[in-house]
Amino acid sequence: MTEFLLGAALFVLGTVALGLIRILRGPDDADRMLAAQLLGTGGVAVLLLLGVASGLGAVGDLALMLALLAAFASVAFVTGVARPDPPKPVRDPNALPRGDRS
Amino acid sequence: MSLALSLFTIVCVSLGAVFFLAGTLGLLRFPDTLTRLHALTKADNLGLGLVVLGLLPQVDWPLGALKLIAVWLLALLAGATVGQVLGSAVRPPPVSGAGESTP
Amino acid sequence: MTASALVRGTAFFGCWLLLTHFGTGADLAADLLVGLASAAAATWVSLRLLPSAPGRVRYGALGRLLWRFLWQSIVAGIDVARRAFAPRLSLQPGYLVFPVRIPPGPGRALFGAFTSLVPGTLPVGSGPTAGGRAALVYHCLDLRQPVAAGLARDQALMIEAYGEDETDD
Repeated sequence: MTEFLLGAALFVLGTVALGLIRILRGPDDADRMLAAQLLGTGGVAVLLLLGVASGLGAVGDLALMLALLAAFASVAFVTGVARPDPPKPVRDPNALPRGDRS
Repeated sequence: MSLALSLFTIVCVSLGAVFFLAGTLGLLRFPDTLTRLHALTKADNLGLGLVVLGLLPQVDWPLGALKLIAVWLLALLAGATVGQVLGSAVRPPPVSGAGESTP
Repeated sequence: MTASALVRGTAFFGCWLLLTHFGTGADLAADLLVGLASAAAATWVSLRLLPSAPGRVRYGALGRLLWRFLWQSIVAGIDVARRAFAPRLSLQPGYLVFPVRIPPGPGRALFGAFTSLVPGTLPVGSGPTAGGRAALVYHCLDLRQPVAAGLARDQALMIEAYGEDETDD
């Protein structure tokens, strides 16, 4: 059973890695964020599988933290897109194109 | 009995892995951001659900199982919220009267 | 208010017990104190962010809602997987403006979260319909599917479970 669970974890990790191609291709920042979201859900599954395969309960806690942080990452991304301009520009605001990081 | 449980785990986890593959394929193949978001949220949530279901017989009752279910519920809630929030961020300017419908 | 505080506090304390594997530490009394304090703080935050709504929940309808949600999210996953694996993509994406009867607030947010996991729909914003009624804008994966009918069923079930507004009963 341990071998099977390790294999499944490796497979899911492979699909997540494949999905990261989307980060290279884009074209939007939102598309790249989708790949990060995939990394969140897929990472949780990989950690759960590894946790059961290895018998280490603490890996389950890691999965819980990853689920939480992945959600926060996406919400932080969206609040950044919705309010791209900072309330008080400290430096020259024309130095950077607004709300576009690419 | 133990064989049946092992079989259950293998079937559920394998199915879950297939849905993860589907999510990745959708993410790479679907034509625009919103359709990719559909693929990602729906396929991956089901994939994670199946992996959790498959792992349930392999952990100790009730603490380990409850924790697995808690992880799944949190991921489900996060997926549903993120889907909506990302969707509203990439939505193009308001469509007026497009696809108007009354239930 | 006090009842919902008690329910939420108990749930948070349960989560804390689950996460810390209570009983494995050296000093049980100190652990318990920390857990109770954390649960109280979490309850305070949750009541501030999401005040308890008036009205009562009909548990029968809520059960049917949860069952439909579970079933629909499975169908949604299979639907998307089928399209992703198909050699030729069969998509007809587009927008749908769905008149919503659930008042704005936590109820509508819950409806949005629920409908983001049913087949082929994804709420992407809100706005009035042509007639000026409140509406949610959905992005649909395939406009050939009967998405509006499904959303109407979801909405009817949710109103049955939670009540349309506080004057409902």
